[in-house]
Amino acid sequence: MVERRSLPQRMETDPESIERDLVKLVLTIVELVRQLMEKQALRRVDQGDLTDDQVEGLGLGLMHLEQAMDDLKERFDLTTADLNIDLGPLGPLLGD
Amino acid sequence: MSAGTVESRDGGPQSLQQVALVDLLDRLLGSGVVLSGDIVISLSGVDLVQVSLRALITSVRAHVEADDG
Amino acid sequence: MAESARYLYAISRSLAGDALADVRGIRGAPVAVVRHEGLDAVVGDVPLEEFGEDGLRTHLEDLAWLEEVARGHDDVVRAVAELGPTAPLRLATICLDDDGVRRRLEESRGSLVSVLDRVAGRAEWSVKLVAPSAAAEPAAEEDRPTSGAEFLRRKKARSDQRQEQHLGATGAAEEVHRELAAVAVASRVLPPQDPQLTGIAGTMVLNGAYLVDLAAGDDFAVRFRELAAAHPTLQAESAGPWPPYSFAVLEEP
Repeated sequence: MVERRSLPQRMETDPESIERDLVKLVLTIVELVRQLMEKQALRRVDQGDLTDDQVEGLGLGLMHLEQAMDDLKERFDLTTADLNIDLGPLGPLLGD
Repeated sequence: MSAGTVESRDGGPQSLQQVALVDLLDRLLGSGVVLSGDIVISLSGVDLVQVSLRALITSVRAHVEADDG
Repeated sequence: MAESARYLYAISRSLAGDALADVRGIRGAPVAVVRHEGLDAVVGDVPLEEFGEDGLRTHLEDLAWLEEVARGHDDVVRAVAELGPTAPLRLATICLDDDGVRRRLEESRGSLVSVLDRVAGRAEWSVKLVAPSAAAEPAAEEDRPTSGAEFLRRKKARSDQRQEQHLGATGAAEEVHRELAAVAVASRVLPPQDPQLTGIAGTMVLNGAYLVDLAAGDDFAVRFRELAAAHPTLQAESAGPWPPYSFAVLEEP
C-alpha cells in the first residue's frame, strides 16, 4: 500500500496557553508509555512465567499509574481523545 | 454514536454538497494524507522547535526477554 | 515578470473549442485545451515558483494550500467530466509549456487511451465504513479492582473484547467490499483516513472506490443500503458520482 503523505502539525501557542499546550504534549507521551507498559504487562502475564507476587505487583503499579493519569487529565481538563496523535505508518499513538 | 447510512449524490460542479476535503485528497494525492507526529511548536508566531514524536516513539520498544540457548 | 507553468487537470477527447470557456481553475485562472493526436489535455497557468519542485515540496505539507489547490483542481475535473470520458490527473502535474504537455500526452498515449476507454459511461462511487470506538472510559459503576491481579484480568478481558470487535468489523468490511466489487466494473481499496482530519471517531475499516456503469448507479446504491443494513454496528457512508480519479492511475515517474 502506498504510504500516505504525512503533514506536520503546528502547535500555535502563546504566553497564555503555553503551559497547557506543553503539558498536553508531555501527557501524550506519558500516556503512550503507560499504555505500552500495560500491553506488555498483559503479554508477560500471558506467557505464564511470572510469579503471583510479580503479577500482583505489576497490576497494582499499573492501577496506580492509571489513576494518576486520570487525576492529571482531570486537573488539566484533558480527555483521552485530546491526547491522541497519529504517527502515520505506526498508526494512532494510542491504540484505542 | 449511532450507526446509519449517509449517502450523498452531487449533481456536478455547482453542487450544494461540499465534497469532503479528505476524500478529495485521497484521490488527488494517490494515497491520502495523515497528520504526522511531527509537531512544530510555535510561540507568538515564531517557529521554535520541532518535536518528532514518531522518532521518540520508535525508540521506545517493548522489552523482550532473550530466549535461552 | 513571474514565470508561469502549465498545470494539468485532466485528459479527455474531442472537447469542443469553447466548452470550457467559463470554467475557472486554481486561483481563478482560465483553462485551455492542448490537443495532440486525438487527446485533449485541459491545462491552466500557475506560478512556476509556487508549483515548481522546491515550491511544491513546501506547499504539499500545508493543509490550507492543499485545500485551495485541491478544490480548484476538482472544479475543473468535474467540469471536464460533464462533457465526456475523462482521465483526471493527480495533484500538481506540471509542465513547463505546451510542448511539454504534448510530450506528456505522447509518452502516456497508450495508458491514457486505455483509461478513457475504461471509464467511458462510468463513474466512481466511494464507500466508507467506520467501526465506532469502544467506550472511552470504563463503566463508572464498576467496583474498583480488589487486587493487582484483578486489575490485569479486567484489562485483558477488555482487550480481548476489543480485539474480537475489531475482527468482526474487518470481516464485515471485507464482505461489503467483495459484494460491492461484484456490482462494479472495477474497485480499489484506499488507505483508511486519519481520524484527526475527518473528525470521525472510530476505526475506518473500509475506504473503497468503485467504478460503476452510469446506468447501474441506482443498483449500486440499493446494494450499498442493503449491505449497510446488514451491518448495523458500522457507520456507513457512500458518495458519488465522482469523476474516475481512482481508476485513471497514471503513476508519476
